[in-house]
Formats: sequence, C-alpha cells, structure tokens
Amino acid sequence: MDPVLLQASDWQFVLENWQFLLLGTVVTVLLTATSLGLGFLTGFPAGAIEVYGSGRLQAAVSTAGVVLRGTPIVVLIVLFFFGLPLPRLGTVPLLEVDLKAFVAATLALGLRSAAYQAQVFRGAIQSIGEGQMEAARSIGMSERQAIQHVIFPQAIRRSIPGFQNEFTIVLKDTSVAFAIGLAELLTRAEQLYLQPGRDTAVMEVLIAISAVYFVLTFTTNRTLDYLNEVYAVPGGNE
Amino acid sequence: MTLLRVEHVDKSYGDEEVLHDVSFEMQRQDVEVIVGPSGSGKSTLLRCVNRLTEIDDGAIYLDGEEIHALDENELRRRVGMVFQDFNLFAHRTARGNVTLGLRQVLGMPREEAEATADDYLERVGLADQAESYPAELSGGQQQRVGIARALAMEPELILFDEPTSALDPELIGEVLSVMRDLADEGTTMLCVTHEMGFARSAASRITFLDDGRIVERGPPETLFEDPEHERTRAFLGELAGIQ
Repeated sequence: MDPVLLQASDWQFVLENWQFLLLGTVVTVLLTATSLGLGFLTGFPAGAIEVYGSGRLQAAVSTAGVVLRGTPIVVLIVLFFFGLPLPRLGTVPLLEVDLKAFVAATLALGLRSAAYQAQVFRGAIQSIGEGQMEAARSIGMSERQAIQHVIFPQAIRRSIPGFQNEFTIVLKDTSVAFAIGLAELLTRAEQLYLQPGRDTAVMEVLIAISAVYFVLTFTTNRTLDYLNEVYAVPGGNE
Repeated sequence: MTLLRVEHVDKSYGDEEVLHDVSFEMQRQDVEVIVGPSGSGKSTLLRCVNRLTEIDDGAIYLDGEEIHALDENELRRRVGMVFQDFNLFAHRTARGNVTLGLRQVLGMPREEAEATADDYLERVGLADQAESYPAELSGGQQQRVGIARALAMEPELILFDEPTSALDPELIGEVLSVMRDLADEGTTMLCVTHEMGFARSAASRITFLDDGRIVERGPPETLFEDPEHERTRAFLGELAGIQ
C-alpha cells in the first residue's frame, strides 16, 4: 500500500504521542544548552588567544579550530562516541538518555561550536579600533585591564549576531546525535514511525518535529534580539 | 623646576628616521606647543613621552626620573593624553569614561569616583551630559570628555595630540577654550596643534619641528615676529595665512 500523505489518522498518532516527543524535545534543549555552554566557555578564551596569544598556545588553538571546522559533525559525533575512552555512565530514567552518548554529543557539538564561536569573538575583538586600547593604556591601565574593561565589553556586544547564528545551527545539529542513538527529538521521532504499521506517519511526525525546532529557534532568536536591544549602546556597532 | 627633560632622542621606523637628536626641557606649568609639517615627527615625539612609542636612543626624564626606569602604567598615570580622534570608550557614558581609570587604576570607591568624574565634567562644561554615550555627543563634547578623562587622573603633564584636528571648525572654539582655562590654571601641557591663535596666546614656548629635528624653539613672539630661520617663517606664515 502506498502511504497516503498527510492523513488525519497519522496526525492523530502524532498527537497521541506528544508526551513521547516532548521528552525528546527536553533532551534536544538540554543538549543545545550544554553544547552552547561548552562552546562559549571554550570558544571565548580561544578567540582571545587567537588575537592576543602567541607561540605554541596560539598555534595549537588555531590548528584545533581548523580541524574542528573542517570535519563533518556526524563524523565528529561518531568518533567521540566510539573513539573516546568514556566510561559507561548509565541511563537517565524517563528521558531514556544514555549518558555516555550525551557526553559524547556534547563534546562534539560543543567543541565544534567553540571553533566557530572563537571566530565570531576574534572578529569582534579585531573590529574594535586600536585607539580604544591606546586610550585605556594612556590612563595607566595594564593591557589585561584594558582587555577586560574596554575591549571585551564592546566585543561581546558585537558578537551577539554571530552567536544567534551559532545558536540556531547548534540547536538543529543536535539532531545528528541520532547517529549514536541518543534519545533526542529526531531519534524519538524515528522510534515512532518505525513502530509496526506506522510507516504512513513518517511525514506527519517529521513535520511535527520540524515545527518544534522552528518554534525553539524563533523564540530564542527573538529573545536574543531583545537582549541585544536592552544591552545596546548608542553607536556601539559602528 | 624642570618637569620634563628630553635628551638626544632618536626614533626610526625601519629605515625612516622620524626623530633625530631631539632635546628640550619643560618647567612645571609650562605650555609647550609643537608645530611642524605633517610627517615631521610631532605625534611620535608626544607618544615617546608616555611610551605608547618606544625611543631608540636618548633619554626622557619626568621630574628627574628616567621614564624607562618607571613602571609604564605608573608613568601613564602621571602623564595624561588627549587624542586627535578622542578615543572615548564607546560602551561607557561620559561619566563612565572618566570613572574607569579612577576605579581601576587609582582604586577609588565607586561613589567617590562618580563624584570626582562629575566635578571634572563640570570643569569642561559637560555637567549635563554625564549620562550620554560618546555617539550621542558632538565632536567638541567628546573631546572635552577626553580632556576630563585625562585631567581626572591628576597627571603632572598632559599631552595633547592635535586635539582639534578632527573637529568641524565651529566646534574647535569650545575645546580651545577649555585648553586655555587649563593653561591659565597652571596645568603643564605639551601640545601638538595647528591652532596658531592658541599657540600665540597660551604657549610659553613654541617648538618648530621639521623632518624629525628641532629647527627652532622660543617664546611665541620671537617665533611669530622674528624667527631665526627662514623655514620657520615660511611655515608659520603659511599656517597663519590659512587661518
């Protein structure tokens, strides 16, 4: 039998399983948060090292960035899951999350995001005029104080649009954790339509979870737009 | 009493010699104006005094101490600078621009720093703009904030690097008037400027720098009325003709 696209009974099926998909959404949101967090905590210092660092440290950071940006995310996630000596960490009840898979996915998504966030931040730092540093030094501030109090506060504000992109990309890319069976939204969607006799519901399930991804990216981007306005400084982006 | 002594300073960028055997002395409360054609080394000379640029040879003494023996941050706390392009901290209000150094460098408590900042903003006529961000201020106002920021650190000497060159003509007056007040109050100032009116009325001495060398140095009346060198006469005559 040819699957009939978009039939009422399949939408009914999606609705009946909303709790099952909601648990997947929770995992997707958690994985986005841990990955972006890791990306921020690693990417920020990395961007600063690329601008202000020197020698081996700078070379190492810059090389790591090139490798991470040049490797497909599915490859990274599978490599981290099977290649890293992570211990078995058990499974979170209810969410049915294998912690080892979650850690591997966070490392892959987080470090890759760090490589991109570092570039966002590096560009923002370099867009701050030389005169700002000179002015800070001219009143007796050390280079470190000048970076902390004059350069970074301006660079972070200029990084927000880049972070918004990065957020959207990471959120949607959590779906590649599907490749290691992590029970996030896409994996759970597949578990639904692979149930016996439910192959007609593939489209409905995928459209439903796409809507979830869209709502998540849209609302978060709006929130970040709002924060951008609240913390904006007149002329801060010139 | 000698505050600044510059002795036989040389500075090159690559093969290009920017300063050659420059020597001069300033007393406390002196207003020294440096004039010269563009590329003559005026700004470089200024920047050597607070070590934004390092000299190749020679020595510079601040109040008897060689500046390279001082901690560079300590030196810069004692020698303020006002920039051609203002260089106000774009993310901080006028008050925030002044308080940053007070808080971070002098370790002043917040309330005291804000009160001090407001005093200095008032001195430059900007008491009502304390909450404004640089982008909300005119060029003349920004430069006055720049002067307040330098003054607030209570430096022994302030360097002015073409403070009015980036301003529209109608905004130059307000900045020069603040500088004149400072001169009258006995602030020691080393100024690079093309404002001959200011040089004539406020300077204790004028130095004419050309091609990295001091051609002539003396009180304004001598340089304007009876310069020793033809080059000085030609240059000052040209500047005066423009204005």
